[in-house]
Amino acid sequence: MNSLGKKIYAWIDERVQLQNLVQFLGKKYVPVHRHSVWYYFGGVSLFLFLIQVVTGILLLLYYKSGEELAFESIQYIMSKVQFGWLVRSIHSWAANLFVLSAMIHMFSVLFEKSYRNPREITWITGMLMFFLAMGFGFSGYLLPWNELAFFATKVGTDIAGVVPFIGKPIMIFLRGGEDVTGATLSRFFGFHVAVFPGLFTLLLGVHLVLVQRQGMSEPLEFEKTPQASHKTMPFFPNFLLRDLLLWLLVLNLLAILAVFFPWELGKKADAFAPAPAGIKPEWYFLFMFQTLKYIPAQILFIDGEVLGIMVFSVAGFLWLVIPFWDRKSSRGENNRFVNYIGLFVVIYIIVFTIVGWLL
Amino acid sequence: MASLKTYLIISAACVSLFQLAGAQRKDQCSTCHETLGDKPTLLFAQDIHAQKGLSCADCHGGNRNSEDFEEAMNKSKGFLGVPKGDDVSKMCAGCHSNGERMKGYGSRLTTNQWETLLTSVHGKLSTTGKEHIAQCTTCHNAHGIVSVKNPVSPVYPLNAATTCSKCHANAAYMRNYNPSLPVDQLEKYRTSVHGMKNARGDAKPAECASCHGSHDIRSAGDAKSRVHAQNLPATCARCHADAAYMKGYKIPTDQYAKFTKSVHGVALLQKRDLAAPACNDCHGNHGAIPPGVESISKVCGTCHALNADLFSSSPHKKAFDERRLPECETCHGNHEIIAVTDKLLGVGPDAVCSRCHSEAENKKGFTAAQNMRGLIDSLESSKNHATALIEESEQKGMEVSEARFKLREVHQARLESRTMVHAFNEQRFREVVEKGMKTAEAVSQEGESALEEYIYRRMGLGVSTLIISVLAVSLYLFIRRLERRQAGTTRV
Repeated sequence: MNSLGKKIYAWIDERVQLQNLVQFLGKKYVPVHRHSVWYYFGGVSLFLFLIQVVTGILLLLYYKSGEELAFESIQYIMSKVQFGWLVRSIHSWAANLFVLSAMIHMFSVLFEKSYRNPREITWITGMLMFFLAMGFGFSGYLLPWNELAFFATKVGTDIAGVVPFIGKPIMIFLRGGEDVTGATLSRFFGFHVAVFPGLFTLLLGVHLVLVQRQGMSEPLEFEKTPQASHKTMPFFPNFLLRDLLLWLLVLNLLAILAVFFPWELGKKADAFAPAPAGIKPEWYFLFMFQTLKYIPAQILFIDGEVLGIMVFSVAGFLWLVIPFWDRKSSRGENNRFVNYIGLFVVIYIIVFTIVGWLL
Repeated sequence: MASLKTYLIISAACVSLFQLAGAQRKDQCSTCHETLGDKPTLLFAQDIHAQKGLSCADCHGGNRNSEDFEEAMNKSKGFLGVPKGDDVSKMCAGCHSNGERMKGYGSRLTTNQWETLLTSVHGKLSTTGKEHIAQCTTCHNAHGIVSVKNPVSPVYPLNAATTCSKCHANAAYMRNYNPSLPVDQLEKYRTSVHGMKNARGDAKPAECASCHGSHDIRSAGDAKSRVHAQNLPATCARCHADAAYMKGYKIPTDQYAKFTKSVHGVALLQKRDLAAPACNDCHGNHGAIPPGVESISKVCGTCHALNADLFSSSPHKKAFDERRLPECETCHGNHEIIAVTDKLLGVGPDAVCSRCHSEAENKKGFTAAQNMRGLIDSLESSKNHATALIEESEQKGMEVSEARFKLREVHQARLESRTMVHAFNEQRFREVVEKGMKTAEAVSQEGESALEEYIYRRMGLGVSTLIISVLAVSLYLFIRRLERRQAGTTRV
């Protein structure tokens, strides 16, 4: 570090005891093993979230919520605002990559059983963030107020509406009335830029503090081998620099996607127009959407769609509380059952997403 | 002597038997009612049904052989009296819907009249709600019915219009069923070529049933009606395209063939555009007559109002009137009006202007036509250039929806210029064209900017990729150096 750098560091250190933090980070080690690569997806997800925050704020400078303004304001951003097209395309692409990266991160944690004692809260906060990410996607999809988003939101909120007792009130709450209107757009905008980011930041803070406090989870095999044989890498600067390297590559990927595949705007939503062919939700909802299509209208005495939603809800809840029913992993034993479930879910999601995409 | 006596007795017996037989064959209904001077009975003597051997009792029931009127008209023995409402038509249908029975009378009539009447506009319920609007007797009369070919028949072509107008010219009656339907059809018909010839005793020109049908008459708005806009040209063509039938009237018979190829015919018959004109929209329907030279622009102007207005105030109006040239028809033709293209304008081989404005004789008009064509061609090429640029930009994923929207204005200017041609005023035409060209130029500029932006984006991506790659490689090398140093430190 040159003398100016040292001076600045000393100036800050004098005021906020930066040295303590550096020492803390310096003592943190990341296990090195054959599955270490998966550790990076947490960092990539964080990076993509930060990109979302930055590009989202930039979009907010020009975006106007409202039935009469939303589409036109995005059109303006795409055609008139300097680099508006780039910001919007990166925001849309980063959103999708964020969900993908978070999904990979979640499955890697599941297969590594990293959720086991003492990291139950880290898993729960991660899962809640994942649900919020889907909420971000669902609410953000409507904001351009284009035809596809309008009808996809209609279908999506309709699905919520079929749940017995609570479905209708939820649907009306989401839509701000009986139908998808400007009121729906306003509240989705509110969720997207205020409610969800607030909750997400809170959860992210807890998640990151826990990761730093508890360190990276070690694989189960480490528990059966002597500590001395475990290979590690300092978190700072080695792992963090590697993270940065990957972030640079992701940034470049985003730029390539934004330039070669700019996010389309489509046609402005028209509530009186017939629904266009091929309405599909975002890809991460596709496996559920496709499943609901295949479920028969009536199974025994229960409505097929209601049953499907209930099954997904129960499965989601069981997934959320894995650390509490998988006691075997917490005891340091390998729980193959969880592996099989995880594998089944991965295959199911991939197959149904592809089928939903193609059909 | 005995043999003569026997012969006389036998002869007297035979005469008596013949007299008795004759007395029994004579219809007692007629015998009595004729004596009473009953008009229907007297008319029935001339009725085709009477000639085919039918008696009053065949429709009214009762015993035709009984001289005792109480027995002859005994309701308990089947006497029906005068049928009312739908019973009238049902009575007729009893025979007329029965093929076998009709064949027995040597009839070659169709047997679906009642069936088709029920599907017709007259087969709907009347205001009483108890019967249909029209019964067989409404048009054919009840007694004295004769063949439709008989000139005294109320449905004979020369009488049909009068028969129909009994109801259709009665405003008080018609308002019960269709208050918006005019009641002056007969009046108009008498002014038409068809009506005038009909009045002169020519049974061939169209009368009501020729176009509307007879038993199967449907409302003109009904897609199955013969006079529905899409069916009307074919209905007119049944006579007007039949050279043998039209022989003697000295008019062409290719109107229908031409119309089907025309822009109007294609729109109406192929594209099913009901706003396009059928024969009656130009010629009228009940008052059908070919439009005269002076009224053609008025007829076309009912739809092409702007063009007609511009033409009326143009210098061509006076020139056409002086030469007694039909206004629109001179350039566009009549039945075979093809879709107008810009080729019609100018002095080229397909242009119509040069038919009158030759370079040698009418230099001013010739130059104006040439200039106007040049202007509209320039607008077309500007529009095509702008469209190509916008399409290319869209294909490359650029956001040019605003420019795409502006292209509509260019298209609009092109349409406007085509209308403005009818003012035959080069200056006014130029103003419209230039407005379109200015917009086309603005659109082209936006298209070009979008394409430049497209290249700029790719170059920007290249530069940023280079910077990121340099950073990534540097970082990688730094990590490697750092870890080598760390490994060295650990080893020591």
